[in-house]
Amino acid sequence: MNLPNYFYADLPPEAELTPTMLTGACQAIKRNREKHLAPRTTADLINLLGELGANWRHADFPFRKFALEQGPAATGFSRATLERGLDTFFRELTATNLEMLVAQELGHAQRLDKLSAPRAEEAVGRAALARGPELIAHIAAGNLPNPTLMSLALGLLARSAQFVKCARGTSFLPRLFAHSIYDADKKIGGCLEIAEWRGGHATLETALFAEADCVTATGSDETLADIRSRLPVTKRFLGYGHQLSFAFVASDAFAGGRLSQTVACAAADVTAWDQHGCLSPHVIYVETGGNVTPEKFAELLATELAAWELREPRAPLPAAEAAAIASRRGIYEVRAAHDPDATRHWCSEGSTAWTVVFEADARFQVSCLNRFIYVKPVKDLTQALQQAEVVRGKVSTVGLAAPEVKAGQLATQLARWGVTRVCPLGRMQSPPLTWRHDGRPALGDLVTWTDVEA
Amino acid sequence: MRLWRNTSLEKNRMNSELAIFAARLREFIGFCGDETLAGLPPAELRQHFDTEFNALALVLFGLQYRNNLPYRKLCAARGVCPDDLTHWTQIPAVPTAAFKELELTSLAPTARTAIFHSSGTTEQKPSRHFHHVDSLATYEAALWSWFSQNCGMRNAECGVAILTPPPAQAPRSSLVHMFAVVGQKLGAPETAFLGRVAPDSVWELDFDATLRALKPLSDAGRPMLVLGTAFSFVHLLDFLAEKNVRFVLPPGSRVMETGGYKNRSRSLPKVELHALIMKFLGVSAENIICEYGMSELSSQAYEIRNSEFGIRNFQFPPWARVQIISPETSREVAAGKTGLIRVFDLANVYSVMAVQTEDLGVRRGEGFELIGRTVAAEPRGCSLMTR
Repeated sequence: MNLPNYFYADLPPEAELTPTMLTGACQAIKRNREKHLAPRTTADLINLLGELGANWRHADFPFRKFALEQGPAATGFSRATLERGLDTFFRELTATNLEMLVAQELGHAQRLDKLSAPRAEEAVGRAALARGPELIAHIAAGNLPNPTLMSLALGLLARSAQFVKCARGTSFLPRLFAHSIYDADKKIGGCLEIAEWRGGHATLETALFAEADCVTATGSDETLADIRSRLPVTKRFLGYGHQLSFAFVASDAFAGGRLSQTVACAAADVTAWDQHGCLSPHVIYVETGGNVTPEKFAELLATELAAWELREPRAPLPAAEAAAIASRRGIYEVRAAHDPDATRHWCSEGSTAWTVVFEADARFQVSCLNRFIYVKPVKDLTQALQQAEVVRGKVSTVGLAAPEVKAGQLATQLARWGVTRVCPLGRMQSPPLTWRHDGRPALGDLVTWTDVEA
Repeated sequence: MRLWRNTSLEKNRMNSELAIFAARLREFIGFCGDETLAGLPPAELRQHFDTEFNALALVLFGLQYRNNLPYRKLCAARGVCPDDLTHWTQIPAVPTAAFKELELTSLAPTARTAIFHSSGTTEQKPSRHFHHVDSLATYEAALWSWFSQNCGMRNAECGVAILTPPPAQAPRSSLVHMFAVVGQKLGAPETAFLGRVAPDSVWELDFDATLRALKPLSDAGRPMLVLGTAFSFVHLLDFLAEKNVRFVLPPGSRVMETGGYKNRSRSLPKVELHALIMKFLGVSAENIICEYGMSELSSQAYEIRNSEFGIRNFQFPPWARVQIISPETSREVAAGKTGLIRVFDLANVYSVMAVQTEDLGVRRGEGFELIGRTVAAEPRGCSLMTR
């Protein structure tokens, strides 16, 4: 498959972008948006996106084939990791889910099309129209493609022209997705631009920010603060800072023969996207008192990760990342040699492919990722939350393994503590389309309302 | 009581074995520094050093295995014991981080008279390297011999300016100890420590004292030796730039810089730092020497430039060896590949000879190129940790 040179990201890496080029591109996609995207109906766009979602899951869809063939070289992820990761996104990209999303965030399916109101509002004589930004500039962090793909889908629903700025070397999948949109509907594809440059390039970013009326950004707190400081207050800024996640396995999660299933779910979460991204667990807290000790759970998880490596190998790592794993393993080896009751570790042999560290010390520990997971014993969720106090307010997702009767109460406790998403273990890296990203309405935050009172 | 006597005697016996080893090693160090060796064919010399190194390393491993309990535990966990080994490359290496958590020493608590700490942030536990008179004597013999061979300065005909605090203010710094020893051994008429420890225990440069020291020294026309950490040079160069002061150090002067930045100043790529040193201190590239060392080691590696052969990458002395280890396989990588630097330092007599660093390097011929430190290897959280 030969992709046309349609986006800046299609140009060879040595091609230099200039502020003038960027301004020109922004104005062109804004004109296209005015002509071709603004007049479209929500139903029409949902239809387009739903079909794209279905196509991307089809084995013969040329863009999918290309993504899986070229993806390992372009992104570093193994084909199997990419396949699973892309499927979790595109499985969610259905017309039904998109309708649900619009209803959830805007209250009515046609809010973006015309003055409309759900029944309760109608009863008091109110109606409202939601408008998306003219041009959204997305500053994508680039560790995972899915958030960027989701941003593109949301921006289309909002009828916005979109400029996606990817970090160096990370535009491959966003670019392919944009090409697939272009292929499905050239006029809508004409409202998108994808480019790559190293973050902090002030002159390019100034040109981009001048044209955009909404900027979304994913990255470290410093990156977000820097971008925000460069935007006039009149521009809408949606910043998604780095978050992290952990898992909690209740003592009775294994009852009724669910042990191996629970272990497999934990392994699925550790391996998904090689543990990159905010939704992957750093620590799995295992409640003591069950018929399997947390230590045994760690050992079983190690076996499961070894099996997983055979069918879905972890990405090859640059030396510095592999060295971080090797160095950290060294520390736990020393601790294990001196106090085997307090520390144990299991490592892939002859590689850094996976590592499980069991530590009796339950303090929250940030992992070095790339399938490096801590298993820590706690007597209950309350203790786990005390131990995770250092990251309170920064926790996105908690993967929960608990019997149904208990799960609701645990989820409430987690919600009150400040976790923004609780999901079953095994689905941490597969949020639904309707997920409120970091506790915020993802589509709702993009729009501006006009309220009309009768 | 009887038991206590026996233990004590046993410990004495072992320590005396280590002392005998240390004395033998110091002889070897002296031999390596013998200028007449330069006349021997390099291949023959190398083979001699290799044979000698291997023999000494295996003996030392046996002694450390017996005398250093935390090390023995680690060896046992890896299923390694001295009788099984035939080559120094088989000796188990201890990660530098272990120096933070364990007392990796053969010295009994009462015998320890000095302790060197790794630098780092105050929240972290530092590495600890314990010493006593004999181990310091070995450290000093090792550092001086290799320093003088690389720096080419052996006598008192120079002034020495040291950009760190003096030993009295930084008694736990192995680097400051080393600089003091260098100053002493050179017998320099003027040795000035130009840094000081601020109340928040940060090292800073006394700029006035530095100007006062550099000016007459450079006016006197005697060669100068300026020793400092990379960040202390940044402090100095920024100050000189601000004051618009430039020195031209007398011919034969040398500058030695070492260590990373550890967030103590803005960090500069090495070429840039060296360019600034050349500009503001008026020394040529050949007279700037880089050192690679750490508190966990007793020997250092030097990188030097020579107008004949260009850059000679970091090299340890003949009583230390480097391996570049693949983080994936834990085996030595091929030449030209990046891996973790592992050092076998015979001068670490009373601690542990085989040290696995968290630094990345590439083997280049006889030496290695330093690539950098592993980011956040130590499990201590990240910027997300709110406290």
